[in-house]
Amino acid sequence: MTPQDLISKAAAALRLSRQERQDLFTKAAEALRLTRQDRQDLTTKAAGVLRLRREDLIRIVHVLIVVVVGVCVFAVIASVPGWGATHALLGIHEAPNAGTTSAPLTVDQAKNILNRDFAASYLGQTTSGSASEAALRTAYTDQGLRGADGRVKLASVQPAASTSPLLVPHPQLLAVSRGFGYPRFIVAQTVTTDGSLPILHLLVSPDVATPYRINMSVEMVPPATVKPFDVLPSGSPLVTSGTGLAVAPDTLLNLYAAQMAFPAKAASKSPFVADSFSDQVRAGAAAASSAVASQATFTQSHTVAPNSVYAVRQADGDALVFGVLVRTDSFAVKSDQNVSTAANKAFVLLTGKKVITKSASITTLEFVIFAVPHSGGQSTLVAAREQVVAGSGS
Amino acid sequence: MPVSTRRALGAVVAALGIVFVALGAWMVVILGPSGEAQFSATSKALGAVVIPPGVLNAVDVPVQITATRPDGGPVSIVTAPSNDARAILANSAVTTASAVHFPDGTLDLHASGAGALTDLSSSDIWRLAAKSPGSAHLMVDQSKAPETAVVTSGDATDLGDVTVTLTWANRGWFFEALAAATIGAVLAVFAVNDLWQGRALAVRSDVGETKTSEATV
Repeated sequence: MTPQDLISKAAAALRLSRQERQDLFTKAAEALRLTRQDRQDLTTKAAGVLRLRREDLIRIVHVLIVVVVGVCVFAVIASVPGWGATHALLGIHEAPNAGTTSAPLTVDQAKNILNRDFAASYLGQTTSGSASEAALRTAYTDQGLRGADGRVKLASVQPAASTSPLLVPHPQLLAVSRGFGYPRFIVAQTVTTDGSLPILHLLVSPDVATPYRINMSVEMVPPATVKPFDVLPSGSPLVTSGTGLAVAPDTLLNLYAAQMAFPAKAASKSPFVADSFSDQVRAGAAAASSAVASQATFTQSHTVAPNSVYAVRQADGDALVFGVLVRTDSFAVKSDQNVSTAANKAFVLLTGKKVITKSASITTLEFVIFAVPHSGGQSTLVAAREQVVAGSGS
Repeated sequence: MPVSTRRALGAVVAALGIVFVALGAWMVVILGPSGEAQFSATSKALGAVVIPPGVLNAVDVPVQITATRPDGGPVSIVTAPSNDARAILANSAVTTASAVHFPDGTLDLHASGAGALTDLSSSDIWRLAAKSPGSAHLMVDQSKAPETAVVTSGDATDLGDVTVTLTWANRGWFFEALAAATIGAVLAVFAVNDLWQGRALAVRSDVGETKTSEATV
């Protein structure tokens, strides 16, 4: 819009006559010309006052304008956080996203946890009373705690603490869990200096507020070996179903428990290789049955302890499966019979009974670890240990 | 290049140079030779103070966290993967540092939740930990980001008055700012000089053309 258009519109708005409008237009045009002339005069006069040439003054003003514009731009950039200029200078950025293929624990954290739990286990087995109980509760969880309690109770009639599988230095960290789900685990191995069998340890944390505690510590069965896991920084996945394994972990342990029952039951084709541990258990059951045959009827059952099965994927796709079986030895005393239990020191210690007339039972935990192939083939027992934990009689 | 275009370009470069000089000099003064930026805030709300990954892992340099309580009681600072920290504090009253303001040096704090604080000391999720009476310091590297830092009394007791300071230190920032100021100054000087000379040439050219015109007439 030109100045003339503007004046015409203003005149129309003021409802001026044509002559009045023409006068106004002429006067305004003259005023504009005068102003332009005055401006040129002012620049020339200012330059004269400053003892500068007119062109130099104009240059100075232009440079000043550039400087002012630069300073204004700086002020805006510095004062508006949303523009992020200062953040860019410091390298401020969005936080990275959490990875799902990394371990939630560092190696140092895992080693500290191992040392803490093993130290507490040692205290629990070398002290007594409430101190021992508190230390065992710090070190163990679930069936592991039950087994440790039984071990401490029966320390006088079972191998001394010095031969405990936990009294070994320098645990070797084998695997930690991957991702941020629960439960989480740590798998470690200890090797004693006295030539005893290596021991595999499983530590479990069930939720974010509960620390890792020993779920089981089990002596390896010669000549078993453990295949490598994924590298520690990436962690190893927990196998939550049987997908990708020759047999599902729960199925494997249920079949293993069933084939050890006494009297023996007909079993389908085993998904596991025969092993010395189950042979010894079956032989022990047969021997106990023969020994009390004239006075009592002996039966033995094995069941998988609830929520005790953990399977950890190994680097080659196989899995190491941990589980706990509860073995119950039951004696039904025949009528008019009194059975002396004095020879079974563990039973006497647990129940206080040296003679039973009706029935008795002994509960033993069987900690087992299997190597399960990812494709066809049979699973192999890698480690096994048993611990008497309870008894009753009447 | 036409004179008008060259002059416009010179003006833009000069303005940019001045912006660089101003920003660089400003950063040099604020950060100092050690390249330190500090952000601080005091929480009066009961509960834990949480520094989420959006603040803790917003830079690639280690962050030093300092927590101080005026009553001299125990102060604990721990860090954990952000998922775990969020889970363990899900039902607790917390004050969260939601943003930093540079160069004001302040932290925005927002209180939320009303539940009792869980005893964090028994959990194994904490990667780094520091505990001390009165004031605690913890240097958090960025190797396991995203992580969350939590400031507590070290047990389930609420903190009611604690000042949290985050310090980011990177000497590189100081030298980068110095370089920006220097480069900006060079740009500005050359551009202004070019503008000055260009204007003089243009004026002389105008005068010459006028004289030629008069001779022709």
